[in-house]
Amino acid sequence: MTKTDDRFDLPQGTLDLLIMRVVALGPIHGYAIAQRIQQISRDALQVQQGSLYPALHRLEYKKFLSSRWKPSETGREAKFYELTSKGRTHLKVETENWTRLTDVVSLILEGTLEGI
Amino acid sequence: MGWLRRLFFRERLEADLDKELRFHFEFQVADKVRSGISESEARRLTRIEFGGIEQIKEDCRERRGTMWLESLLQDVRYALRRLRKAPGFTLTAVLTLALGIGATTAIFTLVQQVMLRSLPVSRPDQLWRVGDSDHCCYSNGYTQGGGRFQPENHWNFFSWEAYKQLRANTPAFENLAAFQPGQYNAYLAVRPAGSSTAVEMRNGEYVSGNFFKTFGISAWRGRLFTDADDREGAPPVAVMSFRVWREKYGSDASVAGKTYEINGHPFTIVGVARPGFFGAKIDSGGNMPDFWLPLTTEPLIASTTSRLKNPRLAWLDLIGRVRRQTNPQNLETELNVELHQWLESHASDMNPQEKALLPKQTLRLTPGGAGVSLMREEYADGLLLLLLAAACVLLVACANVANLMLARGLKDRRQTGIRVTLGAPRSRLVRKALIESLLLALIGGGAGIPVAYAGARLILRLAFAGPDTLDTWAPVNASPSAPMLLFALAISVVAGLIFGLAPAWMTSHADPIEAIRGTRGTEGGNRGDFGSAWAQKMLVILQTAISLVLVSAAAMLGQSLRNLGQQNFGFDSDGKYLVTIDPKISNYKPEQLVPLFREIEGPLRRIPGVQGVGSILAAPLTSWVWQHDIRVAGKPEPGPQDSVSSGWTRVTPGFFATLGDRMVMGRPITDEDTTSTRPIAVVNHAFARKFFAGENPIGQHFGPVPPKNAGMYEIVGVVSDVDFADGVRPMYFLPEAQSTYLLDTESEERELQSHYLGSVLLSAPANPADLQTQVKKTLANTAPDLVLNSIQPYREVVHANFAQQRMIASLTWLFGAAGLVLAAVGLYGVTAYGVEQRTSEIGVRMALGADRNSVIALVLRGAFWQVGIGLGIGIPAAIGAGYLMASQLFGVTPWNPVLLACATVLLGLAALCAAVIPARRAATIDPMQALRSE
Repeated sequence: MTKTDDRFDLPQGTLDLLIMRVVALGPIHGYAIAQRIQQISRDALQVQQGSLYPALHRLEYKKFLSSRWKPSETGREAKFYELTSKGRTHLKVETENWTRLTDVVSLILEGTLEGI
Repeated sequence: MGWLRRLFFRERLEADLDKELRFHFEFQVADKVRSGISESEARRLTRIEFGGIEQIKEDCRERRGTMWLESLLQDVRYALRRLRKAPGFTLTAVLTLALGIGATTAIFTLVQQVMLRSLPVSRPDQLWRVGDSDHCCYSNGYTQGGGRFQPENHWNFFSWEAYKQLRANTPAFENLAAFQPGQYNAYLAVRPAGSSTAVEMRNGEYVSGNFFKTFGISAWRGRLFTDADDREGAPPVAVMSFRVWREKYGSDASVAGKTYEINGHPFTIVGVARPGFFGAKIDSGGNMPDFWLPLTTEPLIASTTSRLKNPRLAWLDLIGRVRRQTNPQNLETELNVELHQWLESHASDMNPQEKALLPKQTLRLTPGGAGVSLMREEYADGLLLLLLAAACVLLVACANVANLMLARGLKDRRQTGIRVTLGAPRSRLVRKALIESLLLALIGGGAGIPVAYAGARLILRLAFAGPDTLDTWAPVNASPSAPMLLFALAISVVAGLIFGLAPAWMTSHADPIEAIRGTRGTEGGNRGDFGSAWAQKMLVILQTAISLVLVSAAAMLGQSLRNLGQQNFGFDSDGKYLVTIDPKISNYKPEQLVPLFREIEGPLRRIPGVQGVGSILAAPLTSWVWQHDIRVAGKPEPGPQDSVSSGWTRVTPGFFATLGDRMVMGRPITDEDTTSTRPIAVVNHAFARKFFAGENPIGQHFGPVPPKNAGMYEIVGVVSDVDFADGVRPMYFLPEAQSTYLLDTESEERELQSHYLGSVLLSAPANPADLQTQVKKTLANTAPDLVLNSIQPYREVVHANFAQQRMIASLTWLFGAAGLVLAAVGLYGVTAYGVEQRTSEIGVRMALGADRNSVIALVLRGAFWQVGIGLGIGIPAAIGAGYLMASQLFGVTPWNPVLLACATVLLGLAALCAAVIPARRAATIDPMQALRSE
């Protein structure tokens, strides 16, 4: 739980998006999701268990994810999550929203201040 | 996965969650080991990274969406555990609530059945009744209404002719049924045809041929009758009620098609109506029909006194099933037009008064799904009064339980404080407290159901014990029903909320700092304490006020009942016996009646111990009284506003002496007054006052209207006033042995009928033990065919008139006593708790020199301050309650300082007892010990 300067807090709802993005690649268990996010973000994002699992359970409750138990790479049974079709649609919509939002935000933040 | 499934597979979900997190944990450890960290160090680090695993689990559960239910179940389990852990508290609270909820539910059971219930028929919502009063029984003439129960000129009863006209001309009714509404159904003497067994008395109701069709009733055996059976000249048929079929005819499967002799005439029983159907009217005291007969058989049974063909005599209630999409308002207008058309067609028979009132005659259409309930009319006010009283008891009970809960809440103050400190949300704490109260209330409600059942049965026994030995079945049932259980549930929840609010409020105001500091609150030392002490005192004040209202209401009703029982009826019912007979259905001919009474009165008089025997049409206070408008010879024709009505009846010579009715003037009726002597009458004092004020009535003549009858009877004597029904009214008495011919057919019918005397009164002051058997034997010997209904002490018959008042008064007393005891217990609890809280303060006072008496005074002052305020609120409330129930009181004014003072003193005494015990305990406090415990 050591906090380093290059790590930051995720805005509300973003974690769900990231999880769904990772799960979209194929069935995957919780630990691997955390690892994958950390890898892809080049260690900038470290997802805590305390946020990951409640988020997974919420997404499952909302039927964006489905889950089943099957042996993992170590041979032990793990709970693998998969994106449902409802989740896929949701991910698409949310990704577009996110892109639009970030575009707009950067447009404003990166614009010149001359007009003011 | 639905939330329900999630809830039921909770165990598996929990296991899965644990497994999932453990997998993550192990994987993380394995990764760390792989990067070269020792296993134990890896575990330690991972555990640190994980943080609180239980917290994660809790978060996951919350995301799962069943959290609210799971925590609810947790709270319920916790509350049950807490209740189990304090059996004394739980038992007290449950018993208190069971009493309160049980009493309220018992009364509600009766209210529901008497006032809210629909007839057990199909689609009662389609039934509409022509008329708007449940009052009984018939009306004579072309105007209706007026009097105590019916609005002026409102039509409720209809003659057969009017019914047929309304039925034929109102297409909006799919079916319009007519039935006899009266309390006085036909008395039927029934036995199998051709048998010589003794006849059995049954109750019969005349109904129209489409009666069963209108109500959608099916046959249980055989068939029910139709319009074809309700034709003049059709062979006489009858339908049996399921109840009498099962109880009196042994569920005889072959009954349909059998012939029975009813009042001497052969009737074919065509069938049995289905179970549960008791007719379209609801009445108490054995007036529910055992047999239904077609209207057209009425002349057969009633012979000379038949009402069927008399258009002036309205004796039928009408209920119809309307077609779909009928507008009741339009239908009412239509019916009014038809009523007026029918009335116009009789304009020529009307007397001038009736003609004048003709345009004002009107009828109302009212929902008929509940039938015609004479019982509703009779019991509505009393039952509502009782329901209020029971609700008051429940409120006092709730206050007591709230007090107990508050005291418990204070004891658990520290625990609550710690919970708040540890971050328990207040909403959850409040919910926990409320769940506990609701649970307690539901258990109390469950325990209250047997109480309610027993209570309702008791009330039925008290209220519906009729004066007759005839079957006194009434269609009211004490056994638990769906509405009753729902009511018990609803009232439990309401009660739980009422007594749970205060403790919940307390919890939400728990002060963690105070709790942690652990100070033992001394005298308003902390906010929670102060709040609860205030709440407890308020509750005691409320209890005192409500109890005072209850006790004062009980005192007034008790006094009213005493007044009813001791009122001066003008005769003494002690040592007298009433023999009820029915010569009419025994098929005695008019000319056989005088010999009959001579034959039975003689031997009855010779029974040892009997001092007098006399017969009368209907003994005082057992029935109604026939009224006649009269004219006095030699007096001017009265104006239209003058009241010229008098009651009248017929007696045998021994009657006045037997009843103890004193002759004021002149002579009584004697054996010498016969058909061969001039027609005479004895009048009562009220009659003499009304028609001969200041004159000597002896020798004067009068007669029933029309005026040409004015010389009919000569007054030979005046007797003192006797209350026949609802107070002393003018009365005249005619001899059994005389009869006069009246031109008016209806009066003539009554004249004939009045000779069938139904009451034989015996005076036997020594109350001989075997009198009843002696009377039975004597009657069986002298008149074996005479139907004997009952032999009863007259006193019981008179007192049975007040059965309902007695029931209301005794129950109110019961409720008052319960309220008093509960209030006293409440005051005791609060005072005792206060003493305990102030132990150290009292110790200091005593150490500083206060003596025992001043300590007792200190405690009593505190208690009586609350009681005083309670009385201050209760006294005006009790006076108000007195005015509200004025209609239930007899001879008691609502503003009654003596009774109120008695109730106040009684309450004060109870409060004193309740407060003295803790006060004495306070006085025994050892100052040293009290101070040391600080």
